[in-house]
Amino acid sequence: MKNKGIVFFLIILAIVIVTVVTYDYYSSKPDELPANPYALDADPFARIDTSLIMFNESRDLAINFSEPSGMCFQDGKIFVVGDQKMQIIEPSGKLIKEVPFDQKPTCVFVSQKNIFIGFRKSVSVLNSDGLKIADWNTFSDSTVITSIAEKSEMVFVADAGKRIVRKFTLQGKPMGEIAGKSGNDQIHGFIIPSPYFELAVNPDGELWIVNPGKHSLENYTLNGELRTWWKATSVRVEGFSGCCNPAYFAFLPDGCFVTSEKGTIRVKIYKPSGEFLGIVAAPSKFKENSHAPDLAVDNQGNIYVLDMDRKMVRLFVRKEKR
Amino acid sequence: MNNSRRDFIRKGTRLSLLITLGAVGGITARNLTAEKYVWQIDPFKCTQCGRCATSCVMTPSAVKCIHAFDLCGYCDLCGGYLKPDPNKLSTAAENQLCPTAAIQRKYIEEPYFEYVINRDLCIGCAKCVKGCTSFGNGSLHLQIIHNICLNCNECSIARLCPSEAISRVKASNAYKVKGSFTKEG
Repeated sequence: MKNKGIVFFLIILAIVIVTVVTYDYYSSKPDELPANPYALDADPFARIDTSLIMFNESRDLAINFSEPSGMCFQDGKIFVVGDQKMQIIEPSGKLIKEVPFDQKPTCVFVSQKNIFIGFRKSVSVLNSDGLKIADWNTFSDSTVITSIAEKSEMVFVADAGKRIVRKFTLQGKPMGEIAGKSGNDQIHGFIIPSPYFELAVNPDGELWIVNPGKHSLENYTLNGELRTWWKATSVRVEGFSGCCNPAYFAFLPDGCFVTSEKGTIRVKIYKPSGEFLGIVAAPSKFKENSHAPDLAVDNQGNIYVLDMDRKMVRLFVRKEKR
Repeated sequence: MNNSRRDFIRKGTRLSLLITLGAVGGITARNLTAEKYVWQIDPFKCTQCGRCATSCVMTPSAVKCIHAFDLCGYCDLCGGYLKPDPNKLSTAAENQLCPTAAIQRKYIEEPYFEYVINRDLCIGCAKCVKGCTSFGNGSLHLQIIHNICLNCNECSIARLCPSEAISRVKASNAYKVKGSFTKEG
């Protein structure tokens, strides 16, 4: 009788211990805890209406880079820079040429004759065979070169560190700078909160420069005078969100803008007038909180997206063309 | 024979006392000279889950938002200060993201603004960190403030942290501030 009492007591004790341990185990699991009362749900801004998607992903080209940093398309070839090299790749993915450098390039621009490689504080000019022609070293210590374009034998170099666009002759002679200042109250000099400062020349030969801190794209004359601009500030899909967007842009053959954003990563199309047109790649196509992808466009209007996190060039083709 | 046994016990007792004294002295010396460890958050692992605000034994939490000014863009449209899609870029309460208004927006020059954290008001909820990471440069991030933290043997936040972002670090290098601290691995 006495033993039965002890056994009964031990059984009750065991049940209590198991209950307490089980409750503690499950109540301590992060998934079992109450929802975060301070949650900031950014997901709704990453969700998009699929009817707005105008492009399909056609193919992906894996590239042999650990840190790709820039891309350009010219004469049926893709030029990718990163690490300490440039690769020239056919759209089929076949490697044509690899050119090594002694430092990491930040951007690349290819004209009809030359290849311009932007480094942090210098520009190298190569011929079409990848042989170096010249080095431009007339930059300051705080220079951060992020983009290069050429028009009418004038080379424009975006300097995110100094928040200016520098102008050069094809021989590398400095020809002044564009500071982006304007008397217009609604616009401002270039505001570059992070090293994303892109410029490009559209099919009509107009120089466009992004002002990321103002979420605007600005058209300047070759003399550096502001001609027109448009802006779109919003976290919604129609606009640019965050501190500094768009990070990169390029032009379709019809003059429409292709833009890519950091933060909530998305690639979109805007009309030449700045009106939102549609989506190339939704945020779900990219890793969360990853890098904004660089962009290039071929003569058919196909869009090449340099995915810096997945280390690949992703080709997007307009839906009706497939 | 008796003398020998007494002698053995006496010597044994002395030896035991000597060993005990040496051990205590050694442990004390080790504790005095050994590197101390404290709890800290790796900002690159933090997923802004909000548990730092609710799970710390301190009220408000010993976890606070800190600002790496070197990384900040001093933006007018600050994703850490303003709610997404605010009706105006202003200090109006309805536009502020922080539930305790712990971020102060100071005008520097057109169009730049400085954002300063009021630690007395900050509860470590990471809402601003999420906003800054999602829409900005990620200059706002959480750290355990060591003049507030009790340095518990088992940190109640670390126990629940879903990304295992909290670990013990040497007290001589107690903070992992973005800019000076870079991503591990």
